Amino acid sequence: MLREKIEKHLLEIQKPSRYIGGEVGSVVKDKSKVDVRFAFCFPDTYDIGMSHLGMKILYSLTNERENYWCERCFAPSEDFENIMRENDIPLYALESLDPIKDFDFIGFTMQYELSYTNVLNMLDLAGIPIFARDRTEELTQIVVAGGPCVCNPEPLADFFDLFILGEGEEVNLELMDLYYEMKKQGASRKEFLRKACQIEGIYVPEFYKFHYKGDGTVERLEVTDDAPPTVRKRIIKDFDKVYYPDNFVVPFTEIVHDRVSVEVLRGCLRGCRFCQAGFIYRPLREKHAGTIVEQTKCLCENTGYDEVSLASLSTSDHSEIAPMLSELLIYTEDEKINLSLPSLRVDNCSEELLEKIKKMRKSGLTFAPEASTQRLRDVINKNVSEEEIMNTCRIAFGGGYSSVKLYFMMGLPTETDEDIIGIAELAQRIIDLFYTMENRPKGRGVQISISCATFVPKPFTPFQFEPQDTREMIEHKQKLLLDSVNKKRVKVSYHDANVSILEAVLAKGDRRLCDVVYTAWKKGCKFDSWGEYFHFDKWLEAFEECGIDPSFYANRRISYDEILPWGHLDYYVSHEFFVRENKNAHKAVTTPHCRLKCSGCGVNREIGGRCFD
Amino acid sequence: MIRLRAVFSKKDRAKYISHLDLNRCMLRTFRRSGLPIWYTEGFHSHPYFSFALALSLGYESDCEILDFNLNEDIPTNEVRDRLNAVMPYGMKIISVAEQKRKVTAITNAEYSFSLVSDNPDLLMNDIENLINQEQILIEKKTKKGVKTVDIKPDMKIISCKIAEKSVDMVMRLPAGTQTNYNPSLFFEALKNASDMSFETAKIRRTGIFCENNEIFS
Ligand code: SF4
Repeated sequence: MLREKIEKHLLEIQKPSRYIGGEVGSVVKDKSKVDVRFAFCFPDTYDIGMSHLGMKILYSLTNERENYWCERCFAPSEDFENIMRENDIPLYALESLDPIKDFDFIGFTMQYELSYTNVLNMLDLAGIPIFARDRTEELTQIVVAGGPCVCNPEPLADFFDLFILGEGEEVNLELMDLYYEMKKQGASRKEFLRKACQIEGIYVPEFYKFHYKGDGTVERLEVTDDAPPTVRKRIIKDFDKVYYPDNFVVPFTEIVHDRVSVEVLRGCLRGCRFCQAGFIYRPLREKHAGTIVEQTKCLCENTGYDEVSLASLSTSDHSEIAPMLSELLIYTEDEKINLSLPSLRVDNCSEELLEKIKKMRKSGLTFAPEASTQRLRDVINKNVSEEEIMNTCRIAFGGGYSSVKLYFMMGLPTETDEDIIGIAELAQRIIDLFYTMENRPKGRGVQISISCATFVPKPFTPFQFEPQDTREMIEHKQKLLLDSVNKKRVKVSYHDANVSILEAVLAKGDRRLCDVVYTAWKKGCKFDSWGEYFHFDKWLEAFEECGIDPSFYANRRISYDEILPWGHLDYYVSHEFFVRENKNAHKAVTTPHCRLKCSGCGVNREIGGRCFD
Repeated sequence: MIRLRAVFSKKDRAKYISHLDLNRCMLRTFRRSGLPIWYTEGFHSHPYFSFALALSLGYESDCEILDFNLNEDIPTNEVRDRLNAVMPYGMKIISVAEQKRKVTAITNAEYSFSLVSDNPDLLMNDIENLINQEQILIEKKTKKGVKTVDIKPDMKIISCKIAEKSVDMVMRLPAGTQTNYNPSLFFEALKNASDMSFETAKIRRTGIFCENNEIFS
């Protein structure tokens, strides 16, 4: 039995409770009464995957259906992977401890590009053929993926039977229903895929063939098997009423986000031009304050967590933020629950609310100006003024904090050395502000942490056309920043440039990159997002062997009329809007947020009517 | 404030919950039960949970001790039932009662385990030879470093039987605030003394005792 084999080795590895299930809130069903089994796979370790909200939602949602069973599966850490390979333990799901290769669906959530090799590794550990074309003709073992990265799924296209675009709450069940019906009729895999691609939101890559021009760009797309020429993402229209779990799986071992998480809004109205999430989740939809409070209470009671966090791209933009926080604070204070508000802007909070927030906030304040100069902030449409930055810092210092953390991006379109030096100057003005304040915290000096990410152009953003800085440019700017800051008071951290380059290539890549991903994995690449496992040299070898030039994807400007590898996928926002926004960026012209004025991105036209009342 | 003591079992998949994680796990269990947990006063207010003895990862137990405080006087059976309704799979509260003795009264603990072997008869021979030695010396890791201890005087064999594919033993070892010996010391000693290869299985703590073999409660 597999379980015995697993248990035999559990005490030889780190944190064994990650590999044996049995957590409170995990759903165990009677196999004989289940018709469709879904292995929800997260291509990273338990500690990271268990923190992911989308998985919690879809897990509970699927399990509400009596005859469907959704189980969890994560990438094992290296110590356990070695044991699994040595002892022929196939990758298994945590609830039943059954091998996932026998499941009807093997579903991955693709949250970041650097997890692609982990998918291949997990399929291999499971004993599932890596390439979709090598899988059985029978209707079983359907390998699917969803999540933000599948808005350009082409670098993964050869490994998956189908992709689920957009929000999964409805379409996942529709897909499983179709499978259940067709399985009863004895249909084949191909027959199922032909039907599945007719469901809105389902993209079956094998029905779409790319032809390329001599210069490497896409010449045309050939669609077969009567698949729709464009595939549109799914949207939940009534977000307030959408299914939300009343329980989470509560892990024994500590995970990254070890708390209740309540989604307060989906989408974003700001339109920062670099931010993919800001466009692919449009339009902004909210839950009522009452619904949020209700769901918070329910989840805290059922899980026993004493920490809750509000999940959204920008919590401050909730239209009922003040009453919602007041009510939540009453409950959480009473119940000795810690409320964390990761994406809350404090500069427009009321005094009273601020007092309360200050009381419970343990860590220092963080803020994301993203760019140092007003010109560059206008280019990226980051609607933050210097005054707001200073005001936030003033509040923080006045509230007893002597450290602030600022997030910036480097390598943004139109950026010059002046903008980089500007980061150091902005930090200095904050330091100066600290020392001019009478009520600053005494005894300590001020500390500024600057975290500087490298800009990665992403599909479905106005910057999808933009080239990324070359490594030389990135390294020059990193050095320039380090040389410019006040070293005593400012701490700078930045990412490995190679990581950002690979991210850009995979984000904007086409189907020819599948071979590169496969080759890199064959060379031993996995856990690419974990510094110690990242081997850029192996990736470069893989590019070389496959005859692919990474700079074609990362450093080339894409013209407005090019056929994009993701051009047949429809995320509601129009191509014309992205072109218009790109032109505005180059003129440093800003676009107001959706509540101030609709800029006609296309979403409203398609959902029928207006995004806001 | 009401001081209470629970006896609980930890078996099956729950044996992989580490001692470090158990505290957090219990706090969440109590919160789910809705019982009125007592919190310490002060800025870093927290509930009070204390385990009498740590249990090694991978060991099962029928007799773990948890001391905790409640704000209200609730019938102990009700406390037990409310906790059991929300306990993790593999864990169960056996009883809840007042705290009779201090945890410092604990002197030893009893363990049962199987030593799995293809040839239990030969292994039994080696075990008998080992436990008939004058001394059983073994290196033990302590906070201050490694030291050699003689576990023979404090080790009490309750039973030792040959089964189909194993030798099954029950033994008592010192436990508590003074000396703590884990059956793994005995396994080590047997490994050193015997050429037979064996695997340990079904290790379970079966009792916690004070002086005069009185069950700790
Ligand atoms: S249609 Fe208008 S309001 Fe709706 S998301 Fe697009 S820009 Fe915003």
